[in-house]
Amino acid sequence: MAEVRIDKVSKQYGALQVMHGVSVDIADGEFVVLVGPSGCGKSTLLRMLAGLEKISGGDISIGGRVVNDVPPKERDIAMVFQSYALYPHKTVAENMGFPLKMAKRPKAEIDEKVGRAAAILDLTKYLDRFPKQLSGGQRQRVAMGRAIVRDPQVFLFDEPLSNLDAKLRVTMRVEIKELHQRLKTTTVYVTHDQIEAMTMADKIVVMRDGRVEQIGAPLDLYDTPQNVFVAGFIGSPAMNLIRGRIEQGAFVSEGGLRLPLPASSAVEGQEVIYGIRPEHIGIGDGGVTVDVVVVELTGSETQIFAKAGADLLNAAVKDRVSAAPGSRIGFRIDPAQAHLFDQKTERRL
Amino acid sequence: MQSNRLGWLLLAPTLLILAMFGVFPFIYVLFVSFHQWNPFAVNPEMAFNWAANYRRVVFDAQFIASLGVTAAFVFFAVVSELILGYALAQAFMKDFPGKAFFRTIHTLPLIMAPIIVGSVWKLMTTPSIGIIPHLLDNWFGYDLNIGQSAGAAFVLTVIMDIWHWTPLVTLSLIAALVSLPPDPFEQAQIDGAGRWQIFWHITLPMIRPAILATVFIRLMDALRTVDEVLMLTGGGPGSATRYVGVHIFKEVFPRTNYGYGSAISVVVLYVTIVVCWLLYVGLIAPRNKKG
Ligand SMILES: Nc1ncnc2c1ncn2[C@@H]1O[C@H](COP(=O)(O)OP(=O)(O)OP(=O)(O)O)[C@@H](O)[C@H]1O
Ligand SMILES: [Mg+2]
Repeated sequence: MAEVRIDKVSKQYGALQVMHGVSVDIADGEFVVLVGPSGCGKSTLLRMLAGLEKISGGDISIGGRVVNDVPPKERDIAMVFQSYALYPHKTVAENMGFPLKMAKRPKAEIDEKVGRAAAILDLTKYLDRFPKQLSGGQRQRVAMGRAIVRDPQVFLFDEPLSNLDAKLRVTMRVEIKELHQRLKTTTVYVTHDQIEAMTMADKIVVMRDGRVEQIGAPLDLYDTPQNVFVAGFIGSPAMNLIRGRIEQGAFVSEGGLRLPLPASSAVEGQEVIYGIRPEHIGIGDGGVTVDVVVVELTGSETQIFAKAGADLLNAAVKDRVSAAPGSRIGFRIDPAQAHLFDQKTERRL
Repeated sequence: MQSNRLGWLLLAPTLLILAMFGVFPFIYVLFVSFHQWNPFAVNPEMAFNWAANYRRVVFDAQFIASLGVTAAFVFFAVVSELILGYALAQAFMKDFPGKAFFRTIHTLPLIMAPIIVGSVWKLMTTPSIGIIPHLLDNWFGYDLNIGQSAGAAFVLTVIMDIWHWTPLVTLSLIAALVSLPPDPFEQAQIDGAGRWQIFWHITLPMIRPAILATVFIRLMDALRTVDEVLMLTGGGPGSATRYVGVHIFKEVFPRTNYGYGSAISVVVLYVTIVVCWLLYVGLIAPRNKKG
C-alpha cells in the first residue's frame, strides 16, 4: 500500500513526444481508472509507473520515494499486461506462482495462494496446462491471477478484462472490486469499458494525446465535464454536441434549432457548443419537433436517432417507444441537464 | 500414379547423390570392416575375417585411450563454446559503436578450412618462431612447447576448437535471442526476478531448443575432429591429443590398414549415435512430453 505521485511526467521516443507533462496524485488505497482513446499513452504511463520505460522528464514517486531510477524489481508492483505476457514454457500454476517463487516463499504457501486465485478466476481445471493450450480469455485470467497472488504496494492493470465474455467480465469486475475493498491496495486500472470505469473508480483520469484532460470522481466527470472532449468521451451513448451561438437568451444551432439554455457564463452572441446527454432527452410535446431516422431497441432502453432540421439528436429512453422511422415526435430537453462549451477553447462555460 | 512417378523423377538426383556419397560409402565401410585388407602389405588381397577387426577394436588400448581424451576434448570445447558463445550473443544483442563490424569479423574463423586453422595455429605455437610461446615467455616466463607438454597440447587443441567454432554458437544463439518476445522478460522483472533468475527461469528455457540444436551440431563435429588437430599436434605428444578421428586417420592412411580403420569408424559412428540419443532422451524428450 502506498500513495503514488505522478508529477509533470513526459516521455519521448526519439524526437516523438508521446507524453506531455502528465500529473496525477493517487492517494493510498485509491482505485484510479485511466481512460482515453487508443494511442493516448495509457499503457506508456503504466509502463513508466512499473519502471519498464524510462521517463524523459518529471518525477514518479511511490510511497513517498522518488522511483525514477528504481528498477521494476524493486518497486514492489504487480502488473497485468495488455498482452498478458505469460511465460510460454511454464504451466498455469507455475506462471501464477512465479512472483511468489521469486520472493522465496515456501512451497505450501505458493500452492495455497495459487489454488485460491485459481478458484476465484475459475482456472482450477487448467493449472497443469501451458499458455498455448488456453483461450485468450483464459490467458488473460492467468495474467490476472499472477498479479493477485501477490500483496504488492500498487496494482497496475492494463485492460485486464478486455478479452472476457460479458458475463465473466461482470463477475471479474466484482471480484476485483471485492479484492480492492479487502486489501485496500492502490490500483491503477486502464480500460476502454465505460461501465468498468464508472463503477470501479474512486477517481477517473481522462487522457488524450499524452495529456490529462480531466481528473475527477466518476459522477463529477459525468455531471460536469470540463471540456468538449471529456463530455464526448465519458458516458455511453455519447453526449449530443451541437455547434451554434447564443441568441436572445437561447441556444441557436447552425442548423437553426432553438434550445433552452442552462445556467452558465455564456454571453449573448458567443459561439458555443451545446451538449445534452441522450438519457436527458425525454419524449413529449412542448420541446423540439424531430423526424425519427433510426430506432434501436436494446431491450432495457430505446435509442432514437432523429433529425431536427440539419442537426442530428440522439435520445435514450427507458420505455419502449414505437416510433417508426420517418415519423414526427417531440423531444423534451431539460436545460438544467445541458452543458455549454466555448467553441474556440472547447472549455466548459 | 503419374504424379507419383514425376515425384520420384524429381527426387532422383538427390537420391542418387545421397546414395553415391552417403549410403554406398557407408555400406562399403561396413563391408570392408569385416575384412582383412591392406593393399600395400605382402598379401594385398581382401580377406573376409568375420569380426576380427571389431575384436581388435575392443582390445585396442590406444583406441580406448583415444575415446577418453576425445570425451575430455569434446566436453571442454563444447561447454566453453556454449558459455562464450552465449556471452558474445548477449553482447551483440546490445547496441555499441562498431557492432556490425565486430559481428562480421567475429564470424571469420567459421569460413576457414580446418586444415588452414591447424596450420595457422601451428605457426603461431611453434617454439622459437610462433608468437604465442614468445609472448607467454616474455610475460609470464612460461615455456610453451606443445611438442613436449601433453597438457599444453591438449589445452591448445581445445582453445583452437573454441576459436574456430564459438562464432557458430554465437550466431545460432543470436538468432534465438532476437526472436524472443520481450514481454515475459518485462513481466519477470515486475515479478521480482533478478538478472540471474531471469536467465535461469526465462531466457534459458526459452532458448533451450536452439541451445540443444547447437550442442548436437558441435558435439558431432567435435567428435570427428581430425585435420586441425593432426596439423597442430599430429596427435601428440605421445597420444595426448590422439582423438578418435586422428586415431582412425593414423590407422587408415600411414598404415593403410583399411579393414581395421573401417571397423573403428563404424564403432565411432555407433558411439556418436548413442551419445546423441542419450542427450535426446535426457534433455529433449521429457520436455516434449510435458509441452
Ligand atoms: N516504443 C515506442 N516507440 C515509439 N512510439 C511508441 C512506442 N511505444 C508507444 N509509442 C507511441 O506512444 C503512444 C502511446 O501508446 P500507448 O501504448 O501508451 O497507448 P494506449 O493509450 O495504451 O493505447 P491502447 O488503448 O490502444 O492500448 C502511441 O502513439 C504509440 O504509437
Ligand atoms: Mg494500451
